[in-house]
Amino acid sequence: MVSFTKIALSFVCHITLLQHCLTKPWQFTELIGEILHHRNQMKKNQYILFCFFNLLFLQINAQTRVFKDTLNGSSEEVVVTANRSERKMGNVAVPTSLINKNTITKTGSLQLQNILSEQTGIVIVNSALGTSLNGYPNPFGQGVQMLGLDPAYTAILLDGEPLVGRNAGILKLGRIATGNIKQVEIVKGPSSSLYGSEAMAGVINIITEMPVKETLGLQLHNASNNTWGGTINYANKFNKTGVQFFLNRLSSDGYDLDPNVYGKTVDPSREWNGHLKITQEISNKLQLLVSLRNYDARQDNNYQIYYQNLPAIVSGYTTEKDQSAFTQLKYNVSPTSKIYFRGFYDRYSNESFVNLVSSGLRFDETSFVQSVLKPEVQYEKNRVGKSQYVAGFGANFEMIDASRYAGKQQLTTGYAFTQKEWYLMQQKLTLIAGVRLDKRNDFAMHASPRIAVAYKPNSQWKFTASAGLGFKAPDFRHMYLNFYNAQIGYSLLGTSILWPELQKMQKEGLLAAGADISPYANQQELKPETSLGVHLGAKYTGKKLIAEWGIFRDDIKNLIDVYALPFTRSNGLPIYSYQNINSVFTEGAEMDLKYRLTSHWSISGGYQFLLAKDKQVLQNIDQGLLYKRDPVTLQSSLVSRQDYYGLANRSKNTANFKLLYEDNQHGWDTYFRAVYRGQFGFMDKNGNNIIDNPSEMTEGYWMLNIAASKSIGQALRVQIGAENLLNYTNPIQLPNIPGRTYFININYNINQPTKHKSNKL
Amino acid sequence: MKNRFSLIAAVAIVVLFAACSKSSTTPVVVPSYSSTQTLTVNFSTATPYAFFGFKDSSLVANTDSATAKWDFGLRFTTFLVNSNASGPGNAGVIMQDGVFANLTSAPATGYAYDTTSTKLAIKDGSWYDYNPLSHAFVPKAGKVFFFRSADGTHYAKMQLLAVDYLPFTGPTPVKLSYKFQYVYQPSGSTNF
Repeated sequence: MVSFTKIALSFVCHITLLQHCLTKPWQFTELIGEILHHRNQMKKNQYILFCFFNLLFLQINAQTRVFKDTLNGSSEEVVVTANRSERKMGNVAVPTSLINKNTITKTGSLQLQNILSEQTGIVIVNSALGTSLNGYPNPFGQGVQMLGLDPAYTAILLDGEPLVGRNAGILKLGRIATGNIKQVEIVKGPSSSLYGSEAMAGVINIITEMPVKETLGLQLHNASNNTWGGTINYANKFNKTGVQFFLNRLSSDGYDLDPNVYGKTVDPSREWNGHLKITQEISNKLQLLVSLRNYDARQDNNYQIYYQNLPAIVSGYTTEKDQSAFTQLKYNVSPTSKIYFRGFYDRYSNESFVNLVSSGLRFDETSFVQSVLKPEVQYEKNRVGKSQYVAGFGANFEMIDASRYAGKQQLTTGYAFTQKEWYLMQQKLTLIAGVRLDKRNDFAMHASPRIAVAYKPNSQWKFTASAGLGFKAPDFRHMYLNFYNAQIGYSLLGTSILWPELQKMQKEGLLAAGADISPYANQQELKPETSLGVHLGAKYTGKKLIAEWGIFRDDIKNLIDVYALPFTRSNGLPIYSYQNINSVFTEGAEMDLKYRLTSHWSISGGYQFLLAKDKQVLQNIDQGLLYKRDPVTLQSSLVSRQDYYGLANRSKNTANFKLLYEDNQHGWDTYFRAVYRGQFGFMDKNGNNIIDNPSEMTEGYWMLNIAASKSIGQALRVQIGAENLLNYTNPIQLPNIPGRTYFININYNINQPTKHKSNKL
Repeated sequence: MKNRFSLIAAVAIVVLFAACSKSSTTPVVVPSYSSTQTLTVNFSTATPYAFFGFKDSSLVANTDSATAKWDFGLRFTTFLVNSNASGPGNAGVIMQDGVFANLTSAPATGYAYDTTSTKLAIKDGSWYDYNPLSHAFVPKAGKVFFFRSADGTHYAKMQLLAVDYLPFTGPTPVKLSYKFQYVYQPSGSTNF
């Protein structure tokens, strides 16, 4: 335990240094100044201590190389997302991380978002729009913030294929069951060079199990809030045919964080998740994969509205369906080259209604259907030890039909990509260059290149550098949304329908008198949002210690944002539309340490420092154009750079700490995780549309989760756990967080394929 | 009684100043008048405006809407300035960015009028940000209004401090409360 304390202290020191250095990572001279300043600020003995711990850290680093103890080399794990073809984890040149089945099992969580939130650099955030519905159900859900970018900028793939059906840019992660996940691969940084639009911040690829041998798994899950889950997982391989079947049902009574508001914060729900995979070896050169998925969820709606100026209760429910079919034919042209023919179809629908309880009258109903059909051909060539090549082409046929959109809309995108990877200097150096071209029917061709370098001077160290251009085409909502908020009274109109809708509204007398709509007759079309991302990383893999450092910077142009038209509706409330307005940047640093203490104990920790700012705001501050109002005196004064915290919803500091105890001999394991999300801006309150005052922030918070399991005999495993041990809640700003919950999982596995393998944190 | 008292006070002041001016040749600096006021304003656009006069620092009755007693009117988020289309006065307004205390003189020219009922001097939406999350109309920080009064000869500077909803039951708010601060210069000078 002594080394544990050392590591912990050293870790803290490193964070301090890292964070301090990276406040201005692009100005080297200032960086030196910062360090000196930092030293001056510290008392002398503190500084000595600081240096001591840093030295100690290096010392431990050096020592670990001597130990012969084995740490399961994560570098041998295979990932597919980083290069669109299989690579050993230790060889990828772009920042990639992996969550394997073992880790998922040890957390005991059935929520993908909980599992992702324990990863360094991934923050699960609410849609800013969701909070507008205090006391009303939040239909937007939570999504993944990566490199400080909103959830709309991270591609979510299931077995390599993109799911559709985002609501306000957020794909509900609850649609993906965790019971049959083999591994989750996370690639950070612009990945448009392989995955096109949506992959501007990165890619999360959820890879499900493949049939290898006969296994049967059953799970019964029970948790607080009357949550029940049941899972069947069956796989078998008959000669040349493989079958994998997965079925999961989950139901919950939801929870209520604020008894003063009518209705529950999260209403009761139940969901079914089914997945069938069939593999067939047609010949020794030809392999077929068919994968069918069905998700079916229903959630109650029960809340208070005003009907004819009187409070009234409405109730109803929301039905969500997500069905996908995937077929892949893999043809091994030669031992070193292969071709994939793929076809993917996904259809997502969301239908919602509420009736007035008193009269049974329909009060509101919405519907939303989105689908994508995606044929694709991919070619791979592997010249062992020399180079690997991957190229492909395909098309996306997307369709949307929703009550909030102006009619049925279609978009077609054709694309082609190519990437080559060279191995030089006795394979110490890896070079990658790739580019993808996207042509959507309503846009000019867009090219997204990426280059990456990895240098491995020895078996312990790996240094990486990558840079890429990302892009995100305006989506359906930016172009076709036609939304009138009946509760509040404002309108939000997509750019493609803005002019005809304004004409219609003016004719119907819905616009304020004297509104001049003529400037919108020839309105400029939206441009795609584009980004340039750079990442530098270093990784040390020792016998006991794995350490990883990275710094990143992303510059985003033409960010699409909502703006208010200069005239209002006749009710005096605003009309909003979309514009390419902002240029923002995000930059930061992250660090991950994993250390094997003894044969039973392992610890790990991660930290991310993040800055995300609007360039126009910085310019306005420099020119003395931006004011703030003091919340107490109500007087205005100029905003300084120090006042400006950055974009809302971004935490400067996020961290996690994990402790794992594992005794394979006796079948015990205990996994404790602590996840910290530092304070973040919530909304402007002092009249300048930026976050610059503590009153506009949400305080940081910790999520403490623990799970423990015991194997009984060959097949049975019992797991108990608790999530959110500190019982943190924030009903208004973070209604997605229930209080403390407890769970129990009873697993019955026959011929378990991965039975208590060595630990991977 | 009150009127008589203020008359006496006014006379006393005049006498005092008259006495002073005899003994000194420098021009008299008349102190400007500062005040912070809260005005309750109707939310519904089908209801009357609230009118305010800087000189008396008071709400002006709606029956006096056709007089020059008021300088600006407010309803929901719409400002009227007592001029052309809105009233018989000769009021005008200029909006400027800056720190209220540091802006010590009003511009001599360039005051905007309410040209027509749809082309008002203060454009709706120019002085606040509507927050669809909280539904708040947050006055933009650092916006200072320079008013020329309805009589056309006096100046005031004003800044909005807060706009709040008064408590309401039902789906729509009924009243908004505007808190603002102003300095009125009774001498006719543009300096505050």
